[in-house]
Amino acid sequence: MNDIENNMNNIIEVKSLGKKFDNLEAVKNISFEVKEGEIFGFLGPNGAGKTTTINMLCTMLKPNHGTASVNGYSIISSPNEVRKSIGIIFQENTLDEKLTANENLLLHCRFYRIPKNERENRIKEAFNIVELSDKRNKIVETFSGGMKRRLEIARGLLHYPKVLFLDEPTLGLDPQTRAHVWEFILKLKEKAGITMFLTTHYIEEAEICSRVAIIDYGKLIALDTPDELKSKVGGDIIEISTLDNKAAKEEIENKYNKEVTENQKILSFKVDKGHKFLVSFIKNFKTPIKSINLRRPTLNDVFLKLTGRQIRDEEVSAKDLMKKRMKMHGRMR
Amino acid sequence: MEEIFALWQRDILRFFRDKARLFGSFAMPFLFLIIFGSGMSGSIRSLLGGADTPSAMASFDYVKFMFPGIIGMVVFTTSIFSALSVVQDREFGYLREILVSPVKRSSIAVGKVLGGTTIAVIQGLLMFIFVPFIGLKINLFIMIKLIPAMFLIAFTLSSIGLLLASSLKTSAGFQMVVQILIFPMLFLSGAFFPITGLPAWMNFLVTINPLTYSVDMFKKIILEADKLDPLLRQVMGLNLTVLGHQVTVFDEVLFILICGIIFITLATIKFSRSS
Repeated sequence: MNDIENNMNNIIEVKSLGKKFDNLEAVKNISFEVKEGEIFGFLGPNGAGKTTTINMLCTMLKPNHGTASVNGYSIISSPNEVRKSIGIIFQENTLDEKLTANENLLLHCRFYRIPKNERENRIKEAFNIVELSDKRNKIVETFSGGMKRRLEIARGLLHYPKVLFLDEPTLGLDPQTRAHVWEFILKLKEKAGITMFLTTHYIEEAEICSRVAIIDYGKLIALDTPDELKSKVGGDIIEISTLDNKAAKEEIENKYNKEVTENQKILSFKVDKGHKFLVSFIKNFKTPIKSINLRRPTLNDVFLKLTGRQIRDEEVSAKDLMKKRMKMHGRMR
Repeated sequence: MEEIFALWQRDILRFFRDKARLFGSFAMPFLFLIIFGSGMSGSIRSLLGGADTPSAMASFDYVKFMFPGIIGMVVFTTSIFSALSVVQDREFGYLREILVSPVKRSSIAVGKVLGGTTIAVIQGLLMFIFVPFIGLKINLFIMIKLIPAMFLIAFTLSSIGLLLASSLKTSAGFQMVVQILIFPMLFLSGAFFPITGLPAWMNFLVTINPLTYSVDMFKKIILEADKLDPLLRQVMGLNLTVLGHQVTVFDEVLFILICGIIFITLATIKFSRSS
């Protein structure tokens, strides 16, 4: 492939980027490219280094080593050009809640030096996209969580950014609002053709992305389309719970020569053509089965295969909590 | 410039929208003037005049003497505390919206300082609703001289506030540090009592305190010092001398201006580095 032509389509290029907080290496030497117009997902558990990476790409944080360019501008030597090219929806709310929705958007226009005669049109357009036109002159404090998120998305679009960064755009929202916010994100991609870079720890959200990078403990461990990633897991997944998991595990391993993983008292293993396998499996299995389930692999299985852990293991260890706190502390500095 | 103006406007808008803060700002000055001022009036007069009160002292009114000091107190505290909005913007997240935009760090610093300065001047002017109750005569000419004088010191103190806000991460910490700083400065400024016959160490602190010169300017402007009886001027401490030199308004403007330039520079550098 022609290398130069390939580079022209990359709107973000990251080269061996790394960031250390005190003695915690939050991001370890990661490299990747984001193509123009795609929805690029950054998937990983909490504290994996997703936000740190986004903060570096947004010039909010200086990397310890490596470099990256956004829209052709280096995040290190021309941060101001990078800032002009990007829009960001932060994980936490960054609206001025004492002002009205309109005032928030107007301030944004002025920070980005949008010409006076264009402001009204752009604000109107942005309100239309997120369907908040009727709330234009309401104080933001009175908005629901989902409305605030949508307003932030509208604000992030005002200066026509080349790349829109979304850091956990649906964090803390109820499932209905989450779906709603996603509707807007997809609508946006269709309408405006903006490149979107988002982080998430929701598997379902990552599935919508054009390409997904999986990150764990600051390292990039896989990068491909969701389908490609899932096909690497191979076949279907069977999950069973039995009266004697230990015996069942041994039986599967001996009889079918499959690798079995146990998580929360559920054994799972991979087979080809699961629906046919299941019939003979149930007939011939000696250990009493309590329940059985056959499903297609998800990105969680990809993560499981790569790391041996689930993305959303809810038990966060004390060490992880410490890390998270340090990360937040570091970010504020 | 557009960005500085936008940031400035945001602070002003928020100030006028916060009605509780607006009305609350009258409480302290009111207490000082009415209770403290009226209560102390008699004793201060006899203290200043000695046993046989000279005739010129008869026209001395402590509440009137204190009024410029109260204006000073309001302007000083409002301006230095105005940088609290920077700490709060950081805590509530809005600072990230500003920081990630192409607005220069120095513009953010200047916009914030100007916002705080303006609010402090407005607060100071609001105190003039007390004027009819204390029997002072204020004319337009006095106001025209007073506004730049207030602006000058408010700018300096807002810069000091921003310098502190850039190093302190929580609003509680910021408020604590500012209080520890501002109250000694206020008490050693001549706002509440004439700064005459002080011990040497205290005199030194008074001399290097920019608020001293600001309070002196306010007094000279509001009380129209040049029209006062020389004896009254003397006991009110309006003949401020430093190292044997009688301080003029020009000296005072120059000193505060230099302080202001130093602190806005330091604050801008500190703010740019810390964010």
